[in-house]
Amino acid sequence: MVDAAISVRQLTRVYSSRKGFLFNEVTRTEALRGVDLEIAPGELFGLLGPNGAGKTTLAKILSTLLLPSSGSARVLGLDVVRDAPRLRSRIGLVLGGERGLYYRVSGRENLRYFADLYGIPRAERESRITEMLERVGLGAAGDQRVEEYSRGMKQKLHLARGLLHQPELLFLDEPTIGLDPKSARETRKFVRALLSEGVTIFLTTHYMFEAEELCQRIAVLSKGKIVATDSVAGLRQLVGGDRTFEIDGYGFEDAELARLKALAGVSRVVTEEFGPRLRITLRVQSPELELDRVARALPGHPELEVRERRTALEDIYLDLVEEEPA
Amino acid sequence: MRKVEPSRLRAFLASVRLSLLLFLADPQWVIPATIAPVIFGFAAFELYQGSGATLVLYAILGAGMMSMWGQTLYGAGWATGQDRELGTLEPTLSTPTSYLWVVFGRIVVNAVTGLVGGLVVFAVVSFAYPHPLPLHAPVEFVLLFAFVLVTLASVGLVLSAVYVYTRYAGFINNFGEFGFYIITGSMFPVVLLPFWTSPIALLLPPTWALDALRYASLPGYAGFGWGFTGDILGAVGTMLVYLAAAGSVYHRVEQHVLTVGNLQEY
Repeated sequence: MVDAAISVRQLTRVYSSRKGFLFNEVTRTEALRGVDLEIAPGELFGLLGPNGAGKTTLAKILSTLLLPSSGSARVLGLDVVRDAPRLRSRIGLVLGGERGLYYRVSGRENLRYFADLYGIPRAERESRITEMLERVGLGAAGDQRVEEYSRGMKQKLHLARGLLHQPELLFLDEPTIGLDPKSARETRKFVRALLSEGVTIFLTTHYMFEAEELCQRIAVLSKGKIVATDSVAGLRQLVGGDRTFEIDGYGFEDAELARLKALAGVSRVVTEEFGPRLRITLRVQSPELELDRVARALPGHPELEVRERRTALEDIYLDLVEEEPA
Repeated sequence: MRKVEPSRLRAFLASVRLSLLLFLADPQWVIPATIAPVIFGFAAFELYQGSGATLVLYAILGAGMMSMWGQTLYGAGWATGQDRELGTLEPTLSTPTSYLWVVFGRIVVNAVTGLVGGLVVFAVVSFAYPHPLPLHAPVEFVLLFAFVLVTLASVGLVLSAVYVYTRYAGFINNFGEFGFYIITGSMFPVVLLPFWTSPIALLLPPTWALDALRYASLPGYAGFGWGFTGDILGAVGTMLVYLAAAGSVYHRVEQHVLTVGNLQEY
């Protein structure tokens, strides 16, 4: 049996913050509440969750930048607390964003510094830096100061730094946030290329399409707990099917909603208000249920718009996150 | 994938290189490194020029020390504070190298620029003063000048851990800086200070090193009762304690910041 690349058992993390000067008021926030996770070597695993769900906290614990409050986590067979120094040379971390770079020196100097901290052999250092700069598309800008870089270029430099020491496992924390569509697409292409080279990737993201496009398995984290882990197809089944019907109209009665829910093959009914208009979303398990059957269940609405689409990861995500009790 | 092993020397040299590049890229450091020491030196010269060559030398040594210490502590500490501000503390700590070696490299660069500042003071005042300054033992003076810097760096190494510990380190640093000038006898002889300050002064390696430096530079200087050799032994002994403490302090601070999770705060 192949050992897991990441194995997490009952992991918790509590943040304490103090307010006041003389009479400190201590506030405790549970960022992670008993997380269990198993990621296979060579897998591209996505972690989704709303703001404050604990995604970055989990990524930082697994990359040895934060200690857990309880539970255990092993990455590449090493304990993230006890074996942190040994583990650091085998993993890469890309936090991204505008910060995290020495902006008064060039991109190449930034990489040179981190290459030395990672102990990349001197004989290989320059060629590795040049190769990484070329690979992320900064070949021509490597000798420019980072302060002259665009947001996308900085993101590319973050990626180059995270990969400089050829890690076996890469943590990518929202790698495309704030990037223009072209840069984001290039980043996703780059991530796919890394996967084909056998790098295990742990990706946290807000973007559903990105997770759907890239990830082999996805975990949804809500309020510090993993509420589901599966492939996108598996998650679709979990939330009640890969067919979604949307009905737009006005003045629906509760009894009509109940009638829709009672239709054979409908597993879930969600309503959203858009001003006076109401959108009813049906998650449909059965392949037999037709759109006109649904329309017939709402006879008093001649203006009704009914359409079918494939259940998107965003639907699944919202279903899972909204289901989770506070 | 190839396994890589970081070396402390590589990390130290990388830190030295980056610190130099950042230093040269940011001209604001010219002020504490060269201009401020000259102002200190001239102020000391104006105050003491009528009091004889020995007192002038005493005063410019104090001014030089102040600039060196300011540059060593403030520069080294601020480099870590800057890591917080730039958000580079997390990526640096995510490498297999201990942060201690990174800080050590920065302190050495700042100490050397502080040394330049101290020598600038000496050169400027020597040029301005009409009589030759009566250096008792010039060779020992230069060696001890560098030695004082090493002792300053040992204290700076321990104190800079505060910058990793908390983002409010600048407050502590600014508060302590002037106290340090006085306690170590940079400007006034330690014997002039209240008795209760003496134990604190003797716990600081630069106090001893400064006294030894004055033995080497001031003719007929009578400092601590232990004499020149006693000063050297005191400086080396206390410095070794600080260097040994630095490793432990950094380990504890690193554990603390990983526990509280404040690395990204600035």
